[in-house]
Amino acid sequence: MVKSKAIKKQSESVAAAAFVGPAFVLLIAFLLVPMIYTVYFSVFRYQIMRPNDITFINIENYVKLFKDPDFWHAFRNTLYFTIVVVPVQSALALALALLVASKTRGVAFFRTMYFAPQLTSMVVISILWTILYNSNPSTGLINSLLTSLGMESINFLSNPRTAMNSIIFMSAWQGAGYQMMIFIAGLQAIPSSHYEAASVDGANSFQKLIYITLPGLKSTIKYVIMITMIQAMKLFTQPYVMTKGGPQNATKTLVYYIYTEGFQEGNFGYACSAAAVFFVIVVTMSLVMKRLTTTKE
Amino acid sequence: MKKNLMTVLAALMAVSLTACGGASANTTASSAAASETSAGAASSSAASSSDAANLTIWSPTDKESVENWWTEKIGEWNAANPDIQVTREAIDRSDSYAYDNKVATAVTSSSLPDIFFVDGPQVSYYAANGIIVPLDDYFTADDLKDFVPSTVAQCTYDGKIYAMSATESSVAFYYNKDMLREAGVDVDDLDSRTVDNPITWSEMRDIAEKCTTADHVGTHIIMDHGEGLPYALEPMYISNGKDYINDSGDTAEGYVNSDEAVKTSAFLAQLIADGYANIEPITDEFLNKACATMLGGSWDVSVLSENADFDWGVTYYPVSDATKKAVSPCGDWSAAISKDCKDTAAAGKFLQWLMNTDNVATYAAAIAKPATRNSSYETEAMAEYKNYPLSLMVEQLNNTASPRPRTPSYASFSTKYAEAMTNIFSAAASDHKVDEAYIKEQLDSVAADFTEDYNTYYAK
Repeated sequence: MVKSKAIKKQSESVAAAAFVGPAFVLLIAFLLVPMIYTVYFSVFRYQIMRPNDITFINIENYVKLFKDPDFWHAFRNTLYFTIVVVPVQSALALALALLVASKTRGVAFFRTMYFAPQLTSMVVISILWTILYNSNPSTGLINSLLTSLGMESINFLSNPRTAMNSIIFMSAWQGAGYQMMIFIAGLQAIPSSHYEAASVDGANSFQKLIYITLPGLKSTIKYVIMITMIQAMKLFTQPYVMTKGGPQNATKTLVYYIYTEGFQEGNFGYACSAAAVFFVIVVTMSLVMKRLTTTKE
Repeated sequence: MKKNLMTVLAALMAVSLTACGGASANTTASSAAASETSAGAASSSAASSSDAANLTIWSPTDKESVENWWTEKIGEWNAANPDIQVTREAIDRSDSYAYDNKVATAVTSSSLPDIFFVDGPQVSYYAANGIIVPLDDYFTADDLKDFVPSTVAQCTYDGKIYAMSATESSVAFYYNKDMLREAGVDVDDLDSRTVDNPITWSEMRDIAEKCTTADHVGTHIIMDHGEGLPYALEPMYISNGKDYINDSGDTAEGYVNSDEAVKTSAFLAQLIADGYANIEPITDEFLNKACATMLGGSWDVSVLSENADFDWGVTYYPVSDATKKAVSPCGDWSAAISKDCKDTAAAGKFLQWLMNTDNVATYAAAIAKPATRNSSYETEAMAEYKNYPLSLMVEQLNNTASPRPRTPSYASFSTKYAEAMTNIFSAAASDHKVDEAYIKEQLDSVAADFTEDYNTYYAK
């Protein structure tokens, strides 16, 4: 009996290791090792085409990085995108979730429609929106609408004052569907008895939202804000496809900056130092966000 | 339990490492199987294929006619050369820099193919970094005499040939005759221009002004926001007196940011500021009748011939009013042997064959670009290049073509210049005016970045 228990326990351990093992190996290979290499290469002068000719230069890359106005420009753009897109996208997602969470007939259609952009590649969406935003009214649908209403056409993506906001709008539209699904799951976890009790007490819809729904979604909101923030910090595809970081660096983000330095210009060691700093920034912001969204019980 | 866990983890690690290491073995097995199939499964062929040199080529994915050309030619080569078996991988170019990124990552992991295609101006960059090897043993001075001079110049670095191209390219001034006639432009005059009497910038600007309407702009100057900018616009700079970089490829200061370069950039930006050219041109803007004229590539001839439903013409690349010096863009993707190639003699032999007169002619016909070999124009495949409009491209290649700067810092320069010009055009579009001080500031930044890159990695 004791022996069979031991065998059972042993086979459970083997099964557990078999499940965890592949992920563990992949995590080391594709996350931990690259991270260590990034920090290692960040103190070398390393031209990407000369992997066998690298020179230790101490913290020279970091000194250059902090003096580079382009880096700070990219940092400000990333921060701006994050600060604007996180509340906008989260609020939009919550609003959509509240709209489609009801059990009314036909709502499933809208739920699918709102989620649909998530199922499409960001590259495809960026190309489509580049066409929608085109400054020529005969090509760009949005400017076609504006001019048909007697308004001036707008250079959405080629004007530094509007380019980032145009990307923010598109990103919020694309990303809100995913957060909406998370919010729907959160809404379903709130017991209906709470709403019934509130109705009996004469609460209106707004009061139910403020006193039942939002407190009930507290953990979900924290989670959504955190993942949206981390995703926003990694903004790359939209500026890469739509604006190439321009115009006038208005949409150059930290990840785009790292990419151009490392791959297009070949300054691999320098790009590694930027990536290491980027990692610290993301971790710091995540901790700050966690602190801000944590309330004393 | 801990022991078991460690055993399983070790086994998994071993499995994953085996999987990584096994890839090349599998590839060898499958390629051996493939060559056996192509050789008709004869035992002698199987024996020779096991000793065969297996070469891999990377080149950008292209249209169907080019893909078919590769399939046919590689099949032809493999059947005739059981000792050197070739496989091609079509790499998605995606946008102007994506292919280069693929090469860059392969360099870091020492996994370059034996032969890979390189865009013309990148030859110096790869050669200076030892990524590609000299080809002088495979292309003698006599062989090179048959190639157009711009190709030889673009593929030469430090006195040695590092790549060879089957095709060239050019850029010329296309015009929609219907739109120009409607705007009162003398189309017959444009049709009658010669290589010695091309239109000037001011004429180009006048035409653009006359042809700009609510429905379409007058011209098109932005090929793309990447390499297309330095490629298509460089002749403007040279024509106005200063190239981007000096002849020895080590100085941009006083060139790309010279007064002449500022004036050239200002001329281009003014076209945007005045609304004569779009800063965000749609794909095939000229074909879609969204612009009346364009600085377009030689490859556009076939696109327009097949698809345009309007009367169009093409004339020589515009020249500066100040110098009247005729210059035109050139350069195309070239084949090079990588440093990771294990059998350079086999790769060289294959390249010699790939660049023979007939192959160059049929490849150029398939990709709709001018051939690099003069003898190829005598073949049937290139017959249409004897007539206008394609003859105009060949004429430019032989008389006015100027390769892009041959400098190891070209990759850095191209990115920075494209970024600066996008900024300049964007400012012009937003403010509806051109600020030369801003242009100077942007071009100064390009020169400074070039100097830093060159001094950091290449200065002796």
